[in-house]
Amino acid sequence: MSHELSVMMLTWEFPPRIIGGISPHVYYLSKSLARNGVKVYVVTCDFPGAPQHEVVDGVEIFRIDSYKNPSPDFATWVYLMNVNMQKEAAALVNSLDGKVDVFHAHDWLVATAGIGLKHVFRKPLLATMHSTEIGRRNGIHFDYERMIHETEAWLTYEAWRVICCSDYMVSHVRWAFGLPADKLVMAPNGVNADVYAKIDNDDLSRIRSKFALPEEKIILFVGRLVHEKGVHVLVNAVPKVLGRVNAKLIIVGNGYMRDQLSNIVKSMGFAHKVMFTGFVDDETLRKLQKCADVSVVPSLFEPFGIVALEAMAAKSPVVVSDTGGLSEIVEHDVSGVKVYADNPESLVWGITKVLTDDNYANWLRNNAYKRIQEKYDWNKIAQQTKTIYNNVLTECSKSFWA
Amino acid sequence: MRAIILSWEYPPRIVGQLADYVRALAGQLVKNKVEAYVVTYHDFSTGEYDEPDGVKTCRVTNPVHTHIGVLTWVLTLNQEIERSAANIYYKTGKQVDLIDAHDWHFIPAAVTLKKALNLPFIYSVESLEEHRSHGANSPFNMAIKSIEWLGMYEAGKLIVKSDWMRDEVYRLYKVPLEKVKVILPKSANWVKNVLETYQTVAGGKAS
Repeated sequence: MSHELSVMMLTWEFPPRIIGGISPHVYYLSKSLARNGVKVYVVTCDFPGAPQHEVVDGVEIFRIDSYKNPSPDFATWVYLMNVNMQKEAAALVNSLDGKVDVFHAHDWLVATAGIGLKHVFRKPLLATMHSTEIGRRNGIHFDYERMIHETEAWLTYEAWRVICCSDYMVSHVRWAFGLPADKLVMAPNGVNADVYAKIDNDDLSRIRSKFALPEEKIILFVGRLVHEKGVHVLVNAVPKVLGRVNAKLIIVGNGYMRDQLSNIVKSMGFAHKVMFTGFVDDETLRKLQKCADVSVVPSLFEPFGIVALEAMAAKSPVVVSDTGGLSEIVEHDVSGVKVYADNPESLVWGITKVLTDDNYANWLRNNAYKRIQEKYDWNKIAQQTKTIYNNVLTECSKSFWA
Repeated sequence: MRAIILSWEYPPRIVGQLADYVRALAGQLVKNKVEAYVVTYHDFSTGEYDEPDGVKTCRVTNPVHTHIGVLTWVLTLNQEIERSAANIYYKTGKQVDLIDAHDWHFIPAAVTLKKALNLPFIYSVESLEEHRSHGANSPFNMAIKSIEWLGMYEAGKLIVKSDWMRDEVYRLYKVPLEKVKVILPKSANWVKNVLETYQTVAGGKAS
């Protein structure tokens, strides 16, 4: 099969290595681009048991030595890993006689590799900014954070186009790095609804009985247990919710706040009503999302909010903070309930409203499901991304690099 | 012959002995009809490009101003060094014979340029982390040593400045001795020996 267009994706995580949202994003985007006739090479970090080279769903994956020597700190490790990634990617492009049209870097974690490859091969670089340091830390306070912030700025400076997954992130990134508006473009994250549709109902009742009593409603939180995800706000809302509805809060994920949160739960006397599962496998997670009577995304900062989208695909009603990307995904009273960020009272109101009115909950889940099929379909997003690549290549063909 | 020299110090920016050595070397190369480019770092007190004594000197700065240590500074700076060297490669119609990288700082750039553009490189060893840090083995020192190792592994040839250093690169990194050339700086046959070593590597013959 001859390809009209080829792209090399650079990402520090790709399945089976999953740290956050970048891994599934690059996986589904690459797979859908391949289905749309784009030749996709993914260069990513190695992972125990995963082969150095394989073809998955039409995507060629190369896993590089991600620098296993001890490093003084995380950022230094990132830059050293980029040395290896750049070296391996350079050898690969060379072996392909330079037949790579664009480089596509995901976040600052692969910034220096992307910038280097752009200049040695003189091919355009695109960057997707999934998040920013200034957003994650709610400001820049230390040299370490400023160094990452400046690296992000440099990546957006070198990129021909900067892709963001929500209108919110477009304006945030524009503000954070002072970029011209015509350099930014929005292409949303997608969600794969099929993986939820496949799950059969017997499995669901089995999973449900493992996590909650039959008379308990399930309130689900999925995410890293860190401040920006607002899970502490949800925990603080628990006593008032339980005063009105018999429910169980299931918290899926890990993070530095876990011990602190579980101590709060114990001191409130609700240890039997709040369950910390830690990290769970994909199958269990999807089943949990499917049996959740409400999925809550209480983030304080959220560039996109993929978990809300997943819940909508799983037909679980959602209650989300009215912030960042979540504000765009959910239409209040139509495809979900929006509450004030960082406000436990508001959260209590939203959760109770969904759990006490079945008709309302069903109205939300049906609307939400329709919405994700219209707007967050990976095939459509891949076509949109392909158009972005082609536009960049047309512009590039008029430059002195051509 | 066209050569690109990479050095993290070059006059007027002098940190140690390397700056003057590299300037003397580049000057001699020009006298011997080598088109010598020096790609180095500048800190705003020097211009971006000049041609003192016929040495084409390109100076880049680091786009990331804030750093937590010399490693992050060096690793990000490498991209600009690499960009500048790649620009020379494309501007000269892809006619660059080799790169001569002095010390560990710009080894990452030299390695990518080799892998991407088949440009062979020489690693000219001024000093080693083992001696600079008196054998310290913290993650910081090990990271620098791993870059030195990478340079010795990927280089077509190593130029060292004493028999003692030849024995040290063998002892510490097990570099095959036929890959290591001892050339005494500013000795009678200094430039002749450097040029001969350049010739063995140029065009990828030795790599």
